Amino acid sequence: MIFVLNESEMETLFQRIHKDYETFGSVEESGEIVFDRIDSFSEISDEKSSYAPKDFLITRSANILEVPKPEKKAVFGIKSCDLRGFQIMDLQILGKDLSYTTRRENTMFVNSVCTEMCHGGFCTAFGGPVLDKYDIQVMRSGDEYYVQASEKFRGYFRDFRPSDDDPFTGYNDQFSQRHGKIEADGIENRIKWSSSLWTEYAKRCISCGACNYSCPTCYCVDIYDDEDGRKQEWDSCILEGFTRTSAGNIRPDLSDRLRQRFFHKYKYYKLSRDEYLCTGCNRCVDDCPVDIDIKEVITHDYTVE
Amino acid sequence: MLLTVCPYCGTGCQMNVEFMDGHVTVHGYNKSPVNHGKLCIKGYQGLSYSSSSKRITHPMVRKDGKFVEVSWDKALDYVASRLNQIKKSYGPDAVAFQSSAKCTNEENYLMQKIARLFGTNNVDHCARSCHSSTVAGLIRTLGTAAATGSIESLKDSGTYFVIGSNTTEQHPIIGTTIINETRRGKHLIVADPRRTKMALNAEIFMQFMPGSDVALLNSMMNVILKEKLHDTEFIKSRTENFDEFAKEIEKYDPAVTESITGVSPDLVVKAARLYASEKPSAILYGMGITQHVHGTENVMSVSNLALLTGNLGKRGSGIFPLRGQNNVQGSSDMGSLAEFYPGYAAVGSDISKFEELWQTKLPNKVGLMLSEMFDAAVSGTLKAIYVMGENPVITEANISEVEKGIRNLELFVVQDIFMTETAAMADVVLPAATALEKEGTFTNTERRVQRIVPVKEPPGEARQDWWILSELSRKLLGSKGYDSPQEIFEEIRKAIPNYSGISYDEIYPLGKQWPVNKSSPNGTEILHVEKFTRGPGRFVPVQYKPPSGVASNDYPFILTTGRNYFHWHSGTMTRRSDILERESPSPYVEISREDAKKLNIRNGQVIGVESSIGKVSLPARTTDAIPEGIVFIPFHFKEARVNALVGDNLDPYSKIPEFKVVAVKVIP
Repeated sequence: MIFVLNESEMETLFQRIHKDYETFGSVEESGEIVFDRIDSFSEISDEKSSYAPKDFLITRSANILEVPKPEKKAVFGIKSCDLRGFQIMDLQILGKDLSYTTRRENTMFVNSVCTEMCHGGFCTAFGGPVLDKYDIQVMRSGDEYYVQASEKFRGYFRDFRPSDDDPFTGYNDQFSQRHGKIEADGIENRIKWSSSLWTEYAKRCISCGACNYSCPTCYCVDIYDDEDGRKQEWDSCILEGFTRTSAGNIRPDLSDRLRQRFFHKYKYYKLSRDEYLCTGCNRCVDDCPVDIDIKEVITHDYTVE
Repeated sequence: MLLTVCPYCGTGCQMNVEFMDGHVTVHGYNKSPVNHGKLCIKGYQGLSYSSSSKRITHPMVRKDGKFVEVSWDKALDYVASRLNQIKKSYGPDAVAFQSSAKCTNEENYLMQKIARLFGTNNVDHCARSCHSSTVAGLIRTLGTAAATGSIESLKDSGTYFVIGSNTTEQHPIIGTTIINETRRGKHLIVADPRRTKMALNAEIFMQFMPGSDVALLNSMMNVILKEKLHDTEFIKSRTENFDEFAKEIEKYDPAVTESITGVSPDLVVKAARLYASEKPSAILYGMGITQHVHGTENVMSVSNLALLTGNLGKRGSGIFPLRGQNNVQGSSDMGSLAEFYPGYAAVGSDISKFEELWQTKLPNKVGLMLSEMFDAAVSGTLKAIYVMGENPVITEANISEVEKGIRNLELFVVQDIFMTETAAMADVVLPAATALEKEGTFTNTERRVQRIVPVKEPPGEARQDWWILSELSRKLLGSKGYDSPQEIFEEIRKAIPNYSGISYDEIYPLGKQWPVNKSSPNGTEILHVEKFTRGPGRFVPVQYKPPSGVASNDYPFILTTGRNYFHWHSGTMTRRSDILERESPSPYVEISREDAKKLNIRNGQVIGVESSIGKVSLPARTTDAIPEGIVFIPFHFKEARVNALVGDNLDPYSKIPEFKVVAVKVIP
């Protein structure tokens, strides 16, 4: 069911959720859009956040011997690409990683559907801004908000107006037509092991890890012990130590590791989980200090090499 | 989320940081004119040290050989009374203070002020070991010892000449700025003994012998003069001493210098033409230029090259000494140097301005420099050293003498965030706050004064360094102390003309580049536009002299030392990060595959490296990135302290040790 709410009804909705959940939202601070605690719907920025809110579910570092406490959190202002990141991750780690699973089950996301394509974004390659799965999905149209809720959260919508229109259906197609679409389908068959792209990228990549850290779908962590316990830390497959073993490194060259990242995103995950491990958010491009553009990996003509 | 500045290198990347439940989140600040939202691996993974449970949390005084926790009052009373006793018995010059380029401007200003009010110019810090030769060189030739342009202005360069800087590893975000520009068609010349990532991206790579910098630079200038590619108008209107300089340059035909540098004349000619023609050209350099017995002469040669081609005072041109520590520009500006009062007012010149400002008579004889302090401790003339945030037992040259010196002291005080190898030898240990727990300002490599804010509380009784120093000044000198970093900053504005126009409130978060004063209230992006700080730019004829480390039959290899991408100096901070330590867990020596083959050394095999004064054993890392005859060891590792091999050879102008050229033998 789709509801249509005005600004003050959105505030009412927010306050109802606020009663049950600790509320967070994308807000502007020093010119950046960051996630912070909020007490009102009006604080939320329409802009895409400066980073994916991955740390709501996988903190950058954590003591994993501590049993995660279920904390009910609601995150407003997350864009669909970033929410989709969690949905893709679910296929690999939900039900396996205890703290991720606990947080996932206790965190609700209110995702907002973009009405304009962000700079460099290519979400249309993977569907587009309207998601099939959501907790609460919001599309703004002028002063009105079209809102969809999953069964679990329908209760918050008592006495709100059901909408006669359905702006969600067909939206992704229109969005693609308006903003273009790069063809990702079949990339698992096109991408080439011996492509020169990997060595070209390796020549300039400085192994900063930004592509992994910024990615809403990268879930790899390193587990280690120190004096305070057993810890996990966000990891990066671009780093040499990621695959170092006592028998040597299975990906000794930086070009091997860069290729692995793209093969994992566009081939292995597709084969094993039937999804590309990418949402088209462009964050890895935005944060890369040497302008490596993952879109090129998709659009590159591998047949001419 | 709080907006602050990365605590590692001199780039000074701005970042948003949040500490929650002992864990840290970090994102680059997209609006930053410095890093535009980008960070390197140290920024992303290097902040966990601040929440380590190994932090020191209480002031401690050694009693019967063991550390005993005491109150701040007791600890500082003890330090003050002992220092005053030593002063009474031996005079103020029996005490030395070591400040830190990891600390804020306010803290450095306080440290040098305490030393000087105490009555000595024995105050110095690690800038001595990194860019003191830049200070000595550029003050002589241009009048200002700092990068002449901004990081942003590098985007307008036509050619980059990177010499002695592993930029993508040591100033990653500046390195990537250049690499991105080369992909847009800009020219890149790299000169380095090691084939760095910068070299892989260069149009011309001159792999030259460590210590032959002057020969290489002079031969480039020889080509420029011979082919008349110099800027005669600029030389005439803006410089002095050209003729004497030109006479010296005549001797350096690239065909002659090849035997010294190992670089073919052909490459030198190409590099010289490119640098002189595809203007504006910028020179970027690091420790590869400065850490030599002729470090100051290297710097003056770099300056000659820029003057010769008119590559100064224009956007995109210039000289960029890449400052290592986050605040080494600022700590030098503050006068935490034995030969300079704040703002580079030379000791020995008229210092009445400071006598008025601080209302007391001040010492005006050059003090002991960092590289001399431990020798003075060994010889017994120095009785006490107060160290803030440095770990000389790992980082100084000739560390066995450092340890001997420390043991010879009557009082050794260390103020730090961890029980470092140096702190473990102290009589008094004072727990300090990290850069993430502090308020104040840092000045980055492009002279940008930036404010930092505390993103977490210091643990236990640990305190910000300015607070500790302020309390000490009350007890030691009877001063009234300070209530906040801003109060200290206001005094800095009075002491240093280049900082006079900076409003503490206004510089957050983007910062301003000094000089900030009445005539340029918004700061100064490019220096020396109309004229040089000293008036005319001065050419200094520099004669090539060999380094003191020369390969011989007994010591056939040249060792060069430095850092790697993942660690910072003695590893106090980075070796506590899981990921950084995983990436670089143990010491190693890089050796060429050819040499390894000749000596039957396998990759990973533990070998000995021995100089005339010391020896370390560590695993070999065979590589193509280093030429035959040269080995490289990073100085991060306490397990194999390479500074045991580095001798006491100092640059006569700046007293910087020769960390880059040590004759050694390799023992399989």
